[in-house]
Amino acid sequence: MIAKTRFLLAETAQNIWRNFALTVASILVVGVSLALFGASQLVARGVDNATARWEGGIEFVVFMRSDAEPSQLDAIESLLDQSRGGEIDEWVFVDKEATFQEFTEFFAGDEELLSTISVDTMPPSYRIRPTDTDAGAVEALGETFESRPGVRSVVFASEVIREIQDNAARISQLMLGVSAALIVASVIVILTTLSIAISSRRNEIEIMKLVGASNWFIRIPFMIEGMVQGVVGALLALPGLAWVRSQVIEEFSESDNLRLLEGFRVTDDEFLLISLAVVAIGTLVATVGSIVAVSRYLNV
Amino acid sequence: MIKLENVSKAYSPDSPALIDANVEIEKGEFVFLVGASGSGKSTFIRLLNREEKPSQGQVYVAGKDIVKLSSWKVPYLRRNIGCIFQDFRLLPKRTVAENVAFALEVIGRPKHVVDQQVPAILDLVGLAEKTHRMPNELSGGEQQRVSIARAFVNRPLILLADEPTGNLDPDTAVGIMRLLDRINRTGTTVVMATHDRGIVDTMRRRVIELSDGRIVRDQSGGQYR
Repeated sequence: MIAKTRFLLAETAQNIWRNFALTVASILVVGVSLALFGASQLVARGVDNATARWEGGIEFVVFMRSDAEPSQLDAIESLLDQSRGGEIDEWVFVDKEATFQEFTEFFAGDEELLSTISVDTMPPSYRIRPTDTDAGAVEALGETFESRPGVRSVVFASEVIREIQDNAARISQLMLGVSAALIVASVIVILTTLSIAISSRRNEIEIMKLVGASNWFIRIPFMIEGMVQGVVGALLALPGLAWVRSQVIEEFSESDNLRLLEGFRVTDDEFLLISLAVVAIGTLVATVGSIVAVSRYLNV
Repeated sequence: MIKLENVSKAYSPDSPALIDANVEIEKGEFVFLVGASGSGKSTFIRLLNREEKPSQGQVYVAGKDIVKLSSWKVPYLRRNIGCIFQDFRLLPKRTVAENVAFALEVIGRPKHVVDQQVPAILDLVGLAEKTHRMPNELSGGEQQRVSIARAFVNRPLILLADEPTGNLDPDTAVGIMRLLDRINRTGTTVVMATHDRGIVDTMRRRVIELSDGRIVRDQSGGQYR
């Protein structure tokens, strides 16, 4: 067993060394395509997070003061109910508990920030979907809440937000499309690299068959070679993703000019999930490429 | 050890390579296959290690019907069959010892077995002094000795030889035949396809003659004719 393993690993290393330039090219193609895939997911998550409270046609949010009296809340609610079916299509109340929940999920990992807040300091809010979504009408409706007792502020989903949602969705879809094409290309590149490796070793393979090497013994070095390309490519994509996250996305969220993009960030859990997806796709790409290559070019 | 029953092989429907062959070869026999180029000698040999499957008939090796053998078992059949060829088929980037060791390593033999068997077999074929040479530094006869060492290092039951002296001068060929004879005396069955009249006539072993895919003669102690 040890002898077999050592021999197989030595063979694989030799294959990769002989086919070095192509192997590097293959790894780079896998890396770039997966980095692009990961980036498209990062952007999508970032936008979702930044605009989460505006999902489902919510046009403005009435934030109450955290110390608002229950009677003040009741007053707002009855006002909203009166307008329901008229100026207001639908509204949702988000209490302190839920706001705190959202906040902690969103800033998970940022212990410093989280230590300064508590459920009690959270502002409850009303998310409102007006019937008329014309910007002027929404603004007029929203302003009627601003002077109510207990109201802290009214925040509108401006056209900028809508534009960001649209553009970001388009950008992330474009990146996803390009990365899908590149992922298909990576399978083909791995396949080609392996077919060249196989053909450059056809003498060895012939002898191996002749002296009775088992079929798996002949296949395994090429399969490992394919897996190395996919997995190393995927691992190379990860630092790229971390860079996109820290430089581009965090830049947005800290920019003073883009106050609206506050909250444009990706949580650690989401980043971990995207990274795992990248490695999984890299492994899948390599597996498909390797299996097709050995079954097609390796006649055992 | 080897039995062919009504074996026919056609690579295309109108050009049969072997027609209705019936042959039985006992353990430890030495058999020459003779006949013109294209008479079916190579096909005969390729049927014995399952490089080809017959179009009809049964092929038995060591009591097993190898036609029905599933493809993952074929390697285990081949571990019992050594093969040598006219063109040696050595790996040019490996030394003599590495070429021989390769045959053991790829069937998963542990290193201590390889380290022990390879020098022993190289000594047997008379190449103990050339262990670390590359194939291109050797004469044709020496290269064929390496290939015999590789074929025999796993102590197979059967040795198949397809024109092993075809590229060698007569004196060198005699040396190779002495070696094959020695291997045969250890109990290994040898089946050798050849054009070499001198060798067949000198050795006086069983001769199977093929002509246009048919066995036209099967004679013990025969001559080339």
